[in-house]
Amino acid sequence: MAMTTDRFQIIAPHELPDYRDRAGDIAEASWPEFMLHDPIANENWHELFDRFSEYQFALLDKESGRMAAMGNSLPFHWEADLSELPEQGWDWVFLRAVEDHKNGVVPNIQSAIQIAIHPDYQSQGLSTEMVRAMRAIGQSKGFGYLVAPVRPTQKSKYTLISIDDYIRWTNDEGLPFDAWLRVHARLGAKILKPCHEAMTIRGTRADWEEWMNMKFPQSGKYYIPGALNPMDMDLETDEGVYIEPNVWMVHKI
Amino acid sequence: MSSERFQVITPAHPDYRNLLRGLTKEVWPEFMLHDAVANEHWHELLDRFADYQVALFDTEKKRVAGLGSSFPVRWDDTLENLPEEGWDWAFQEAVRNHKEGKTPNFHCAIQIVLRREYQGQGLSQPMVQAVRSVTTAKGLPALIIPLRPSEKHRYPLTGLDDYITWQTDEGEPFDPWLRVHVRAGARIVKVCHESKTIRGSRAEWEQWTDMKFPQSGEYVIPGALSSIEINVKRDEGLYIEPNVWIVHEVR
Repeated sequence: MAMTTDRFQIIAPHELPDYRDRAGDIAEASWPEFMLHDPIANENWHELFDRFSEYQFALLDKESGRMAAMGNSLPFHWEADLSELPEQGWDWVFLRAVEDHKNGVVPNIQSAIQIAIHPDYQSQGLSTEMVRAMRAIGQSKGFGYLVAPVRPTQKSKYTLISIDDYIRWTNDEGLPFDAWLRVHARLGAKILKPCHEAMTIRGTRADWEEWMNMKFPQSGKYYIPGALNPMDMDLETDEGVYIEPNVWMVHKI
Repeated sequence: MSSERFQVITPAHPDYRNLLRGLTKEVWPEFMLHDAVANEHWHELLDRFADYQVALFDTEKKRVAGLGSSFPVRWDDTLENLPEEGWDWAFQEAVRNHKEGKTPNFHCAIQIVLRREYQGQGLSQPMVQAVRSVTTAKGLPALIIPLRPSEKHRYPLTGLDDYITWQTDEGEPFDPWLRVHVRAGARIVKVCHESKTIRGSRAEWEQWTDMKFPQSGEYVIPGALSSIEINVKRDEGLYIEPNVWIVHEVR
């Protein structure tokens, strides 16, 4: 793998005995609690290492010996136009990749699953390096594209704005307003379209109250910190549903 | 907390103004400092109603821990008919009453706050009692408050009429600040849906909240009890804050 600065080194899962524990620590530190309860993620996470190990990597801080960031991606097979990528973005692509692999379907495209940077290492330009490193994997596999159901992190401050509107917001340089969309755009990625149901997270009222340290005494929509849309609580079915919108982006590689 | 440590002081204290400096900026989100009625009338608290102002003084740290701002007002209708414009109405009405020499018949508090470092230490009740003691001292029958529920900002999409019905397992109000008052003997009267009106240009709101408002629509902003409405064409952002009319009958 290409990028190695003096301080940071890209490493593969087999290079660290406690790689998965350390990566788990980054996920816990960088995601709001409720994001760790997507059933598709939880049921299939091990597949990243069991089936797609060479698509996983992390950034090791050589000075401190800490893992500063991690990247997860996987390969899948896609024949149709990229504009037809499904609304169920993240959840869909994860399941699809596992299914393809089980069925021996030869992949022709790479999808990002996650780039997480430990809070202590944010705002140091590591996100760009992480995207580059991820792209290098697809390149080494001979793929033409890296697609990504991107989570526009700052959308959480604008929960009442639709994702379709939000992705059109630009800064003074004409680049996307959202910092994560901008990282990809700066590296040449194009916004394809939103995927409105990229992740679906369900929990009982008690689950959500624990995840959020909030109370949900009545049915209705709730603003929850860190979510890109409001969460919908239904007391009759004792279920809160959060449907996370993401943005399909594509890097030509 | 030793009861001797905290003393109630009034504007008669020689250093009162200095001790209060910076307090409101510390306890309120920036946008709350841009209510037009508040800014126009704030000086009246000391000019006209000085003997209604109280502060809780930390004699150890020589700092003001909390503040109670209030004034007398005339209201001849039933409490159930108190105006929807709660806070803004009360302040304007009190000044108008005073100018016209009308005899007040209610005590009204528009701000009872503790500095952040003094919160969660059992000082809420002493602070409320300090304000209630003014009601008693002035011989007024009741203290009315257009109250800002302290946790409502975490539930900006829930109507305040619903929110005030939420209860703890013990059957007390869910909202901690409402609970403090109810424990002190207050009764919830009703919601005043337009208690405060805060207007600003888009640029002002962007500065106040450190956010961007590129398009018209509703936005959740940190610290607000309901969403704000941005109108790009008119270059205006509007926040209408709902509060809760509560009453402490003191005799």
